[in-house]
Amino acid sequence: MRATVLVLIALSGVTALAQVPYSRIAAADKTPADWLTYSGTYQSQRYSPLTQITRQNVAQLKPFWIYQVRRTGIVETSPIVSDGVMYITEPPSTVTALDVRTGRPLWTWTPAIPPDVRVIGSPPVNRGVAILDETVFVGTVHGHLVALDAKSGAVRWDTIVDDNTLGYYMTCAPLALDGKIIIGVSGAEAGIRGFLDAYDPKTGKRLWRSFTIPGPGEPGFGTWGGDSWKTGGGSSWLTGSYDPELNLLYWGTGNPGPDWNGDVRPGDNLYTCSLIAMNPDDGRIKWHFQFTPHDVHDWDSNEIPILFDATINGRARKLVAMANRNAFYYVLDRETGEFLVGTPYAKQTWAAGLDAKGRPRLLPGTDPSTEGTLVFPNIQGASNWPSPSYSPQTKLFYQPAREMGTYFFKGESKYTPGDPFVAGGGRAVNGDDAWGAVRALDATTGRMKWEFKLLTPPWSGLLSTAGGLVFGGTEEGNFFALDADTGKPLWDLQLGSAVKANPISFGVDGKQYVAIAAGYSLYVFGLP
Amino acid sequence: MILTRCAPLALVLALVPAAQAAHAGQAAVDVGEGKKLFQGMCGRCHGIDGTGDEGPNLARPTLTRATDDESLRAIIRDGIADRGMPRVRRMTDTELDQLVAYVRSLGRSPTATSTGNAQRGGEIYTRLGCASCHIVQGQGGSFGPDLTEIGASRGPSYLRQSFLGPAEMLPQGSSPVPGRGFSEYLPVHVVTSDGREVRGIRINEDPFTIQLRDTNNRFHSFRKSDLKQFDKEFGKSLMPSFRGRLSDAENEDLVAYLASLRGAK
Repeated sequence: MRATVLVLIALSGVTALAQVPYSRIAAADKTPADWLTYSGTYQSQRYSPLTQITRQNVAQLKPFWIYQVRRTGIVETSPIVSDGVMYITEPPSTVTALDVRTGRPLWTWTPAIPPDVRVIGSPPVNRGVAILDETVFVGTVHGHLVALDAKSGAVRWDTIVDDNTLGYYMTCAPLALDGKIIIGVSGAEAGIRGFLDAYDPKTGKRLWRSFTIPGPGEPGFGTWGGDSWKTGGGSSWLTGSYDPELNLLYWGTGNPGPDWNGDVRPGDNLYTCSLIAMNPDDGRIKWHFQFTPHDVHDWDSNEIPILFDATINGRARKLVAMANRNAFYYVLDRETGEFLVGTPYAKQTWAAGLDAKGRPRLLPGTDPSTEGTLVFPNIQGASNWPSPSYSPQTKLFYQPAREMGTYFFKGESKYTPGDPFVAGGGRAVNGDDAWGAVRALDATTGRMKWEFKLLTPPWSGLLSTAGGLVFGGTEEGNFFALDADTGKPLWDLQLGSAVKANPISFGVDGKQYVAIAAGYSLYVFGLP
Repeated sequence: MILTRCAPLALVLALVPAAQAAHAGQAAVDVGEGKKLFQGMCGRCHGIDGTGDEGPNLARPTLTRATDDESLRAIIRDGIADRGMPRVRRMTDTELDQLVAYVRSLGRSPTATSTGNAQRGGEIYTRLGCASCHIVQGQGGSFGPDLTEIGASRGPSYLRQSFLGPAEMLPQGSSPVPGRGFSEYLPVHVVTSDGREVRGIRINEDPFTIQLRDTNNRFHSFRKSDLKQFDKEFGKSLMPSFRGRLSDAENEDLVAYLASLRGAK
């Protein structure tokens, strides 16, 4: 690798006036020594252009430093690295800045979270921060969006996004755009009405709110029976993507509420289980694509939408792809939302396929029932929050795939503000009857090129690199590198606890490193 | 939405919370209401029937973090932050009582109504040499499962099946190793690249390695890439079947003995 290039990049970052201006995030692929936004770039490819760690030398990887989190809980953080500092989150909503050369803490900030905080639908976790200019932004489990000074951790502002006593909370990393911070919310299991918000990075003032559930008079309102829209769910709990040229923000939405009994919400339930493309200047929805109309299996569509350009049927297209929790891989035209490709990438037993517009052709007998209905994929889905990766080098979409079924049960649920609103549940088919894989899909067709089998459905995301590698982790605690072309395992190390986080890569003093959290530790690996 | 991992198997030392105000000895607690609450509040992570999903299986006779009702109540009330178990919401005392009663009802077999004679069953247990592979009250071999509490967690039909046709019913996911829902005591057969052959039971596994104990109860660890052959023998068991070796009455005596094993005296 061009050590000198990395050194220059690092130096230029230090001398910049605004630490991380928007222009730097928009060109993040040009400064690969840093990792400036949740998925690496606005295209969310979780791909590192760094080339020092290769197929030939990856077996020599050694720990560079290890940081052990001070807080308890599940560590799902995806670090941000800029100008010699790594910003991570610790459960449930702590932000810690680390010296990227040593792992020594520089500051840490923990919000005062009330003891009766409502975190319904997931463990109390956090997946990362956003950085813009000289400020770091974090969403908390008690529903606040907080701006912290990047140098000291001091609070610049603290804004309540919405009422946690009604079940609104945050786990995802915000997305920093030009002059705005975008944040999504969790809470569909408490019957919230989901939305996406934009805030002024300087003041914390809300710039706009775009509901994921249309209200009276708005397009899509007719897809909700009665008053069901008021508790319709449609959370926005994972970080989306952005196309600066089209000026479109792409964000996935979650399940309708209640989860497993759709009788009380007849209709397609827009815009749940959808990908929405919106103008980030005003939050207006330009197009939407609903993957699972009237979902009754809890198959949120919050998964990471990856942006890439390719030729499909002889035509150059700007594309967005998602390996959906419902087990289908989708490719859409990201200018128009036109459905182009949809094909299963994992076992599914609920649809006979997709029609010409991408709408699933449902199989009978797959709804939840009082006696339990076995359906694949399971409640947590064939995919979930762990990130996929796209390599512009191989043109492959790498997906951590989960092969698992659930007996889905239908129940009753009366809406009580701030209580679980789920109406059913599941009994997992796990252990030796479940498994997982890293799958490499041809990004334009979804056809599998190779897979690397895992013992257990994974909760680790993937990173691809220009060194021809794919990094990932396992529930059993392995961290590994595969050949990006063939899936051949090239290196693995037992980290001592399950990997439930996303890997990143960055550079320090001309050397490339890879970071991953596992258990209570954040590990950084490099060549000797 | 989410429901990512709730809590990994939570088998650590028990919490010992400060005892709360007395609420024992009150009117009969409605377990049915507890079940409804459980399905709404807890089923998402623990499975709708409590047998575990992303959260641990609660259908066990002993919950190591909740050895008594007070500690169980505290966990439901406060959550277990370090295992990712949230406090779902503030519960009333009545709701807590109902949830505790329901969770306690999971994984507890009623006192066996076996027709057999436990004392005669104990003699059969000794005669058959079961103790060469099983521990009861600290005594016996460790190749197979410890049976000290087996009667508290398993009903008569399971116990009968376990010695008449063990291969058809390997225990699953009752221990944190090898992990949630996995078959325990799964026979594996490996041949190393230099031709060495080992048969044993799987102790643990990951995509890259396998740990097993052979029939002499010795540990082995292999990287899968070093093996010429690696078979997991589902549908088999290294425990012999006793089908046809005992009379019906003796079978019931043995069931009665096993059912009487309900933990330390």
